[in-house]
Amino acid sequence: MSVANRRAERPLADASGPRCRARKITLRGHVQGVGFRPFVYRLATEHGLSGYVRNQLGEVEIVAAGDEPQLKRFERELIERAPPLARPELVDTSPFDGPSFSAFEISPSSEASDASIFIPPDYFMCDECRADLSDPADRRYRYPFTNCTQCGPRYTLIEALPYDRPNTSMASFPMCEDCEREYRDPADRRFHAEPVACPVCGPRLTFRDPARANDEHEEAALSATVDAIRDGRIVAVKGIGGYHLVCDARNELAVARLRRRKHRPKKPLAVMFPADKEDALRSICEQAVLDDKAAALITSPARPIVLLEKGADYSLAPGIAPGLDEIGVFLPYSPLHELLLSDVGGPLVATSGNVSGEPVLIDNAEADARLASVADAFLHHDRPIVRPADDSVYRTIGLKSRPIRIGRGAAPLEIQVPWQQAVPTLAVGGHMKATLALCWDDRVVISPHIGEMDAPRSLDVFEKVASDLQALYGVRVERIACDAHPGYTTHRWARQQGLPVETVWHHRAHASALAGEHNRNGRWLVFAWDGVGLGEDGSLWGGEALLGAPGDWHRVASLRPFRLPGGERAGREPWRSAAALHWECDRAWQPTRDPNGLARAAWVSDLNCPTSSAAGRLFDAAAAIVLGCDDVSFEAEGPMWLESLCREQRPPVDLKLAKDAEGIWRSDWQALLPMLADESLSAEHRAECFHSSMAQIVVDQASQLREEHNIEHIGLTGGVFQNRVLADTCIERLSASGFEVNLASALPCNDGGLCFGQAIELAARYDRNNADG
Amino acid sequence: MDDTRISLAHGNGGRFMRELIESVFVRHLGESTIDVQADAVPIDLDGGEVMITTDGFTVQPLEFPGGDIGSLAIHGTTNDLAVAGARPLYLTLNAFIEEGFEVEQLDRIVASLAQTARDVGVTVSAGDTKVVRNGEGGGLYLATTGVGVRLPGTQPSLTRISDGDVLIVSGTIGDHGTAVMLAREAFGLRGDVISDAASVIPFTEALLGLDGLRFMRDPTRGGLASVAHEILRATGFGVRLEPTVPVREPVQAVCDMLGYDPYYLACEGRVVAIVAREQADEAVAAWQAIEGGGDAARIGRIDGASQRVILETSLGGERFLEELEDDPLPRIC
Repeated sequence: MSVANRRAERPLADASGPRCRARKITLRGHVQGVGFRPFVYRLATEHGLSGYVRNQLGEVEIVAAGDEPQLKRFERELIERAPPLARPELVDTSPFDGPSFSAFEISPSSEASDASIFIPPDYFMCDECRADLSDPADRRYRYPFTNCTQCGPRYTLIEALPYDRPNTSMASFPMCEDCEREYRDPADRRFHAEPVACPVCGPRLTFRDPARANDEHEEAALSATVDAIRDGRIVAVKGIGGYHLVCDARNELAVARLRRRKHRPKKPLAVMFPADKEDALRSICEQAVLDDKAAALITSPARPIVLLEKGADYSLAPGIAPGLDEIGVFLPYSPLHELLLSDVGGPLVATSGNVSGEPVLIDNAEADARLASVADAFLHHDRPIVRPADDSVYRTIGLKSRPIRIGRGAAPLEIQVPWQQAVPTLAVGGHMKATLALCWDDRVVISPHIGEMDAPRSLDVFEKVASDLQALYGVRVERIACDAHPGYTTHRWARQQGLPVETVWHHRAHASALAGEHNRNGRWLVFAWDGVGLGEDGSLWGGEALLGAPGDWHRVASLRPFRLPGGERAGREPWRSAAALHWECDRAWQPTRDPNGLARAAWVSDLNCPTSSAAGRLFDAAAAIVLGCDDVSFEAEGPMWLESLCREQRPPVDLKLAKDAEGIWRSDWQALLPMLADESLSAEHRAECFHSSMAQIVVDQASQLREEHNIEHIGLTGGVFQNRVLADTCIERLSASGFEVNLASALPCNDGGLCFGQAIELAARYDRNNADG
Repeated sequence: MDDTRISLAHGNGGRFMRELIESVFVRHLGESTIDVQADAVPIDLDGGEVMITTDGFTVQPLEFPGGDIGSLAIHGTTNDLAVAGARPLYLTLNAFIEEGFEVEQLDRIVASLAQTARDVGVTVSAGDTKVVRNGEGGGLYLATTGVGVRLPGTQPSLTRISDGDVLIVSGTIGDHGTAVMLAREAFGLRGDVISDAASVIPFTEALLGLDGLRFMRDPTRGGLASVAHEILRATGFGVRLEPTVPVREPVQAVCDMLGYDPYYLACEGRVVAIVAREQADEAVAAWQAIEGGGDAARIGRIDGASQRVILETSLGGERFLEELEDDPLPRIC
């Protein structure tokens, strides 16, 4: 999905002069805002070359003159030694026949006119800044806001372009002389590091305890925070992309208090571990099972939350992830967190500082007000956060770390598409786990996770991100793509913008997101299994197999449909799904939650009992039947418990697969019910058998469809495939049947990836015919 | 012919029709000035400013716990006049009766209508009946036009609403919609939930003396949510509903079980009023002092800063209260 690097022309032989040559090198890719020009300057100087580097129309243009061997090495190292955040791609290199230069310099460039702008995500501090932080002799020793061109906040701090300090939230911090000098020095790694700061001129910490008369600042603020945490108190800590609610992860009382106050009884809490000086992962390894891939992700500059299996010696508070065998871990993601964790010396619960489902809070006063009943104290700082970026979350599924949520460090995420999008488009995604995508030319830029769109604050952030991304990238959208569900907040919003609106069916968007990410020609069979999305027949889909390609999907398989008593309530009340399945098959089932038979009567009268074929509801039903979890406090709570019980693979229950009147293959889940309800079997046994059977539905449908259709790629997507036991079993069995299985890995397979799928669908409708291949 | 049921002949303008009108309608409504002979009747409004409204009633079932289509027709029409600041005085009544409808039930409903009219103090001054073919009507439809005179005092109007005003409600919401739904579906739980159908005249007249009164509305079809959206559309001001909206426990329980939201369910005896913030407590106190007003409460405020209807939850969250959809489809599960 990237522009092919063109082969460099051979330099012209120049017999007349010495072995001194000049070459003009053009690069593109992620080369702006990532310290690339200072790097070129240092590299050229190191090789004794003269010339210049400048930004030119979205590309970096370099003219370098010097000894041919040095030039060659320079050219190679431009790519090989590029700074960690830069991703240069060679566009062209050719002999330069122009004036000579006395030295190498960074030429001014008009960044405002740049066509290809990349807004980098917010990254953890680089090794050099980390060294400064712990060097008592350095002027930034223990300074919580240190950064350079290679690290620190970007997306959450840029107000406008060009990316210059006055256009960032650092505008209100005039640089001191020392910072100014570094900022102006092309040889310094803080050359044009827009958020550059130091204890003299930069942001500072404030600890506020509503019970105390006076605030504490800087080191005193940090130590007051450490004391509060050690005392078992809950502190709201302002970070890069928003506030966290923080408490001691070893203190069960503190964790219980946090859960009670946040009205979050069971949903797992993430834990931030101190990064040991010698072995950053040491304290994580004490609590969780870590492999190399997860380790690399945890220590990457994005510093995401990674879900890991709890270790044998797991000793954190039981309330952190009750009933689950996994725990979400991450390392400090900013200098502030580095200091805080190392001063506390132990792991901290660090959960988003928000009201459930809303975007993470970013404003000091708003945090004071809205977290007043949750936090005992606040660790604020005075660098404004322009827009929120919640933590990213990854889980290993199919032997690969895959995002559950893209946020700080991962987004904005750009995906290049191999065609030109004729009309700049805003794809507004779904209703839950909302993200949005700005699409123009061959670029799709996906926002960080915003939140659940029921909440007005989510829409506020959504609107800001939609307008900010357009302003930052200099794109004005002329069309909106949205989900076909008319009740989604994003759908309603789309209709109010006075622009042409294109609707995309939910599961087509899921399928297209996956196909678009993998970008392969040919026919796909995509299993889109999720909680609920509006289907093309007006029922609630979620167990569908779509055949085709973006822009041309056909449903070819599904699950036996059932009617959900109480509609939307089924999401938080798995007993309804359990009842729906039993009643659908005329099996006696008296839910304890329906003592008067009212739900049953409504189901018989078909009052607010929409038809569904959602796999997510089958998982809910199984959890309700096996574990008795009638009511849950967060989405997929029951299925997560059920998955957590699985240890081994069992043979599947034999389920019927037959074509319905419309020619759709339907798997009938009915034979699962006696097994699920059989209390002579252990809960583990039933959970294992259920997962195996659900995976076998995928395998059986795929095998059946292969006999009828030419299928080149198999895909698994939709939130249900965040279930690793299910996904891994599917992959294993499909692979054994000769299928090559594709899962989302750049974007979440849940609704967080919908906006990209909408973009791909629209491109398929309008733009792909014009693609040059 | 079966004289216990309505036949098409009851609508043909002949003897059967005359006898039906006399034996049912005139018998119950005879004490008013209804004149079956006249094509039109004079009404005395004593020089007041005339207010007029019209309404149709198609409720199913026709009789439900707490009321019937007859009492509903009187309350529905007179309440519309009352919230506009008028005193209802006269009604016209059209009855569309389905062939085969039981005369006994018709009699019961007209008796209830007549009694309700007497209680409210309005006169049914003109009427008409039509019989429609079997299968073309839901047993009985009523259409009414109400006439009243504007009362002295504040003239409530959407245009008077301003930022920061407070919403109050005269009682619990959702009772009527829930009671009718339960009765319609024959769920056998009638005893638990009773329609709130009642006259709101005592409540509306209690506020007309307040100069801070802005606007009143009876939250019928579409419920409280639709009133809030009407305010938003008319004024451009957002509405924030607080977690204090009174909902009776059995109503909430039924809504929870069936997956409905009481904010969208109809009331037939409640008023939502918008009053100036400084007079809100006084208005609520006045309502609470009225019989049947014990649950009156402050329930929200006008928020000029947003153009949304927002529900504040008891856990400190907020969510959109969207306009009622024809067919609310689950968005999440």
